[in-house]
Amino acid sequence: MTRDDLPEDLVEDMLGIAPGSPLAALRARRPEARRHAEGAYRELLMPEDPGNVSHAERAALALRVALREGDRALAARYRALLEAAGGEEAAMLAEDLTDGMMEGRLPALLRYADMVAARPATVGQDTIDALSAMGLTPRDIVAVTQLVAFVPYQVRLMAGLRAMQGEGAA
Amino acid sequence: MSRFTMEEVGWTPRLPPVEAETATPAQLAALEACPPAQRRSTYFLTLAQDPASLGERGALFNSVMYAPRGLPRADREFSTAVVSMANGCVYCTSVHARRFAELSKQAEAMQRVLDEGHAVETDPRRRAIADFSERLTLTPGAVTAADLAPLRAVGMDDIEVLDLVHSVAMFANANRLMQSLGETEK
Repeated sequence: MTRDDLPEDLVEDMLGIAPGSPLAALRARRPEARRHAEGAYRELLMPEDPGNVSHAERAALALRVALREGDRALAARYRALLEAAGGEEAAMLAEDLTDGMMEGRLPALLRYADMVAARPATVGQDTIDALSAMGLTPRDIVAVTQLVAFVPYQVRLMAGLRAMQGEGAA
Repeated sequence: MSRFTMEEVGWTPRLPPVEAETATPAQLAALEACPPAQRRSTYFLTLAQDPASLGERGALFNSVMYAPRGLPRADREFSTAVVSMANGCVYCTSVHARRFAELSKQAEAMQRVLDEGHAVETDPRRRAIADFSERLTLTPGAVTAADLAPLRAVGMDDIEVLDLVHSVAMFANANRLMQSLGETEK
């Protein structure tokens, strides 16, 4: 899957916000917020130069956070991205929410994702140093942290928009 | 005594920030997308290690906090202070509580919320904003149209509600970045 295969706007595709609808018109009044939410999603999941963190690993981390945050629809999107990147095994690891202590690179990255998403105050210098010791550069670590911290943005944006859709129906 | 304050607090990164003098063109371009007052801060220079994500995320942040009209800036700052408290981010709380106090001249009201939580807020509009901000922060999956009713009751229109949702969502992101990538020092 490449960026060209993605819907123009993830949020509007997921929520069924049709062009010309009142919510589409409202979002159009904040064009930068709309554009850069989609842009951040694409840069974090499918960067042209992914450094040492592959597209599959990125999709696995996003899947994990969406599940932790309880957004099953968003998790399904990330699972599809992961499958397209050939990450069947990675999906099994990402979807195992039991607090295992499995060895290996992806389990360690998933544990970091859990910390940042659910308990960011527990991240310490030792946590970051452990990522460096796995061969991640400062750029990789910032990218992974940005990614893991961005999924909670998407979850709350869509929760708020769903509530507004519900108002319209009421 | 609460751990939250609107005094300035320190933040030390756990990764080396980019040096402004030796930054690459891509790093400088990404910093240009960030709010002008903050783009030379240690925090943004740390995020500049990955310019691709900072360019998009910085522009998103800039729009969410500073886009004209819609939700007044003071309300955005108040909301993000409440979100930062809910997420336990002492640094972000201090910055946005201070900005709210400056914009609204309501430093005493802000201090009470910092000390005792937003349940003590007596201003109906701020109370509605705080309740919704905390709920969307802590239990996004449980938020429904009914949670918007108190915002509508204090007169908020669609663009104000959208701006509030953006602010709350932005600090789900900012609080996690700030706490993970650096150490806050009171």
